[in-house]
Amino acid sequence: MKQRSHLLLLATLVSASAWGQEVTVNSTSMVQYWKEEVPGFDKKTFTPVTQYLDVDATKLGSDGLSMHLYGWGMADLSDSSLLSGKKSDGYLTYGYLDYRFAQANAEIKGGRFLVNQGVAIEQVDGISARTDLAGGFTISVFGGRPVRYRTANAAAQSDYEFQNDFIFGSRLSTRVLSFGEVGLSFLQDGTKPAKDLPIPSQIDYTRKQVGLDFRLSPVSSVDLSGRTVYDMASRPEAITNQDKTPSRVAEHDYTATVKLASNLSVSGNFTERNFQAYFAGTNLPSLFNQVERDAHRAYEGRVTWSPVTAFQVVTDYRHTHRDTYGDADRFGLEGRWTVSELKLQTGLGYHKVNADDARSTSAILPGPPLPGAQAATYGLTHAEVRGWVMYTGSLISGSLDGIFQNFKDSANPQLNGRGTIYQLVGSLGLQSTSNLKFSADVSYGSDPLYFKELRGLLRVEYRFGTAGKGGSK
Amino acid sequence: MIRKTLLLFLAIGFGLGLMTACGLLSPEPSFAPTHPPQETSAGRPLCSDCHGAETIKGSLKTFASFDHTPAFVKDHRYLANQSSGTCAACHAQSFCSDCHAGKTMMNPSVKLGNRPDRETPHRGNYLAVHRMDGKMDPTSCYKCHGRANNDKCIACHK
Repeated sequence: MKQRSHLLLLATLVSASAWGQEVTVNSTSMVQYWKEEVPGFDKKTFTPVTQYLDVDATKLGSDGLSMHLYGWGMADLSDSSLLSGKKSDGYLTYGYLDYRFAQANAEIKGGRFLVNQGVAIEQVDGISARTDLAGGFTISVFGGRPVRYRTANAAAQSDYEFQNDFIFGSRLSTRVLSFGEVGLSFLQDGTKPAKDLPIPSQIDYTRKQVGLDFRLSPVSSVDLSGRTVYDMASRPEAITNQDKTPSRVAEHDYTATVKLASNLSVSGNFTERNFQAYFAGTNLPSLFNQVERDAHRAYEGRVTWSPVTAFQVVTDYRHTHRDTYGDADRFGLEGRWTVSELKLQTGLGYHKVNADDARSTSAILPGPPLPGAQAATYGLTHAEVRGWVMYTGSLISGSLDGIFQNFKDSANPQLNGRGTIYQLVGSLGLQSTSNLKFSADVSYGSDPLYFKELRGLLRVEYRFGTAGKGGSK
Repeated sequence: MIRKTLLLFLAIGFGLGLMTACGLLSPEPSFAPTHPPQETSAGRPLCSDCHGAETIKGSLKTFASFDHTPAFVKDHRYLANQSSGTCAACHAQSFCSDCHAGKTMMNPSVKLGNRPDRETPHRGNYLAVHRMDGKMDPTSCYKCHGRANNDKCIACHK
């Protein structure tokens, strides 16, 4: 969307909020501070100021009409913290008018909004509508221009914008009372495939996908949820004619949860993602390579036990396999304890990752290793401990959060010789009035990029609201 | 003349279609857009603390399905995808945008550094270790950075 259109939409929406009988404004202002010293480069000081603004106005003349707005802006008070070198930036995450009908959960939205229905998880400048139908059916549709992001270079950007001219999606579902829901959805993002470009390209920024999603609960103690996404687009021949035909299934994602008792549940998950179909439509093909024949599969099991309401403990195991890498197992335990009387919450977790060694770049190059070259393989196995505590009083709040990772193979070139990585974040807050809160965070840590890292952040949160809806928890 | 006839047929067709569609609409009243203000205790809320075995009108799912247990937090993608209206009864949409945003300035864990109870991604300096996780499973990066929010990725992954 052009900057002028942004401003026009913003002005319309903000002025519309004046008509609202219930208006909620959430504002969060943050100032960060850190210094950077890299040998051979100038010392730098960063002081970015970031402002988040969230406005919800309901009952705009009619009970069903509402306006929703959320975005941010930032400016650097000292050196630029942005990779572009600019010293300011901003973004409208969403800004739309919404009309909810009194019957059938019918709803119409117009403006910039986020869509999360079936196969579509999108940001759109356009309109959407949904309604419940008789017999337990539900239908939803959306259409407009996809919100586009920057790609790596100008030539790619012109192809990307040419192809992503229109986005359309729909979902039809059926619900059975207390039993579950099954949905069928379709998405088309862009109407001009790569073969229609003036100079045909192997990188296709368009998507055409169909998806099946379901959630079934045949008895109250069993929950089966999942979805499959299928890639329907025709791909350039140079890609599909390779020796291994890639799967058209972009994703399988299924989870089963069984409540064995009121305080004990077991769940299992299976995920499979085939890179060519899953990465379709990416605007960063250099990283999410659509030409890859690779696939990823994961199996996960989890047991949740809550001996008392205030205490929950989760133990989990996850096995992953990537065709071009190998296997990894992650397992561990974490607990969470809430002491309401003391307004205190705390959590502690331990996880271990046993992973196959990764091949270094020198191992992939032909010929014997060069003198002084890094090892042919390096280990990714590591352990992680995280602990946190949070106090939320009516006047004072505070938290402490620490994460510690220890890598088994400190010769891993990506660790820059740091086998141990940690970060500790402390925060102290003051609720000066019911609407206004000040807080300050300080973080200290060590990692492969910064051997010692100390950062500060000041936060001012202001909330003005006549509506009951929150969202802070 | 032909155009007028065609437009007349189209108008009649549209009108009949609209009347049929209205007849197909569910006669049920809409689900309440906002949960009444409620004092909840510290920690994650459990809908079944107050609600019984009945179903939520808007989604035809039980209230217990939305209990904010560790499993729910981990798997909330399924219910949010099918029944976002139920989420919206208690959460403003900006709550979701703390993590699910097209383009964001700050890592959610930094933005919410005072809320360690929320399961925000990328605790610690994740930039330093993302290459190792990416080797094991790049598809986990794709969900948030595949088509958006990858301004910083472009700096190295050109």
